[in-house]
Amino acid sequence: MKAAWHGWAALALALVAWEIGAWLAKVPELYLPRPSVIIVSLYDLFAHGALTKDLGYTLVRIFGGFALAVVTGVTIGIWMGTSDKVRSVGDIFVAALYPLPKVTLIPLLIIWLGTGEAFQITISWLGAIFPIIVNTVLGVQECDRGLVLAARDLRASERQVRWKVMLPSAIPHIFAGFRLGLGVSIVLVVAAEMVTGRTGLGARLFLSGQVLETGQVFAILLLLALLGIALTKGQDMIDAALGRWRAD
Amino acid sequence: MALAAIAVRRVTHRWPAKRGEPVVALQEVSCEFPAGQVTSILGPSGCGKSTLLLVIRGLLAPTQGAVAFRSRSNGSVADGPPATMATVWQGFHLFPWRTVLDNVAFGLELNGWSAERRYAAARKALQAVDLAGFEERFPRQLSGGMKQRVGLARALVLDPDVLLLDEPFGALDAQTRLVMQEQLARLVESTGKTVLLVTHSIEEAILLGDRIVVMTARPGRIAAEIEVGLARPRSLALTHTREFAELFERIYGLLRDEVAKSMLQAQEA
Repeated sequence: MKAAWHGWAALALALVAWEIGAWLAKVPELYLPRPSVIIVSLYDLFAHGALTKDLGYTLVRIFGGFALAVVTGVTIGIWMGTSDKVRSVGDIFVAALYPLPKVTLIPLLIIWLGTGEAFQITISWLGAIFPIIVNTVLGVQECDRGLVLAARDLRASERQVRWKVMLPSAIPHIFAGFRLGLGVSIVLVVAAEMVTGRTGLGARLFLSGQVLETGQVFAILLLLALLGIALTKGQDMIDAALGRWRAD
Repeated sequence: MALAAIAVRRVTHRWPAKRGEPVVALQEVSCEFPAGQVTSILGPSGCGKSTLLLVIRGLLAPTQGAVAFRSRSNGSVADGPPATMATVWQGFHLFPWRTVLDNVAFGLELNGWSAERRYAAARKALQAVDLAGFEERFPRQLSGGMKQRVGLARALVLDPDVLLLDEPFGALDAQTRLVMQEQLARLVESTGKTVLLVTHSIEEAILLGDRIVVMTARPGRIAAEIEVGLARPRSLALTHTREFAELFERIYGLLRDEVAKSMLQAQEA
């Protein structure tokens, strides 16, 4: 953790170089606005352009779908991990659907669900659930058989073995699945918003591009990047808190 | 109704092999483990000692045969309900994400005890194995000897009729092992529980056991049942007496050929 400031310093340095370089070379703002201009655009969007509302829409869609995927994915994953029959059935569907680029499902989902929140949440859920299932199954299968035996010896029911031994022992893998799944959810929700083009950060990004507001385009990209950093760091913190028994 | 004995009746177990013939771990094993006594189960590695313990505990259904729990009521002895049992494992099998206290309280938690009651019981059990003050540690922060004392506390807190010890000191260094053997001897003498101790150390089997069941190399059969007959309380000093040496010689004679056989099996495998 001591070296963490190196990353931030490098980022700051790159931004300063961009600012000075673009200013010296007199690059037109239509192509590459300077960071200072982007920040002013971002402020304007929040202050006068109701960007807060769009950010809210996007976050609700990402986390709504992701939360559903956490509950359904972990449950299905534990089920598949503990029963050979369920796993052989589930494996076929996972193998067929996991590698499919989920953006290709957007047209079909729009036909079925329209372009409203049901569609947005579904696409987010679809993005996150497969990595969560696959990693949960892996985690459950790698659970130490000795621990299961010890729990049975202490008179654990099958249900208790599943939720009090296999689930906690699979937590590191499950969290790796959450990390991957949330990343895919973000991509899909923003992409879906760009296609349907009404509300959300993706829609604002698309509309700004169409009217050649390059400053706004960069401002929204910056916001998405900041969102990514916040989510990654947040997950790191949760990981560290839950993994206290593993750390030194 | 009090437990009189555990009767193993013609138990055969075959482990399915990935290729070829299944491995016969136990072959027509019949023996009795009297209640209130410590029986050491001694045999070469891979002879099915641990398999026998799993069968008795009911965690493994044998291919053939059965285990009966004899209980005494109104002066007669008949098959009764299974005794309550708890196991201490060679590999400790502590839950790494649980603190020492939560590991010991786990069995009570599974049985629906309230947090207050189970933690009070777990603290007492930890005191009994000299681990007071280590409640909030995680297993990875403990030495092997401490881990196994947690394992012992986790089993004892359930107050089982029968304590099953599966090579409990097998993973410990020689000195820790000696201290733990003495501690266990004291603990067992004070509780009067029925104890089944699987070991491949002849010294451990004599030092801790009232009786010793000697098993053959694979497929495991009963080679001999020996009464130890040495006075309690016992300490390490006992290992220097003539009675101990004679018993050791006798058991070693029984085991020598079996160990040689099991080494050959290991080479073939």
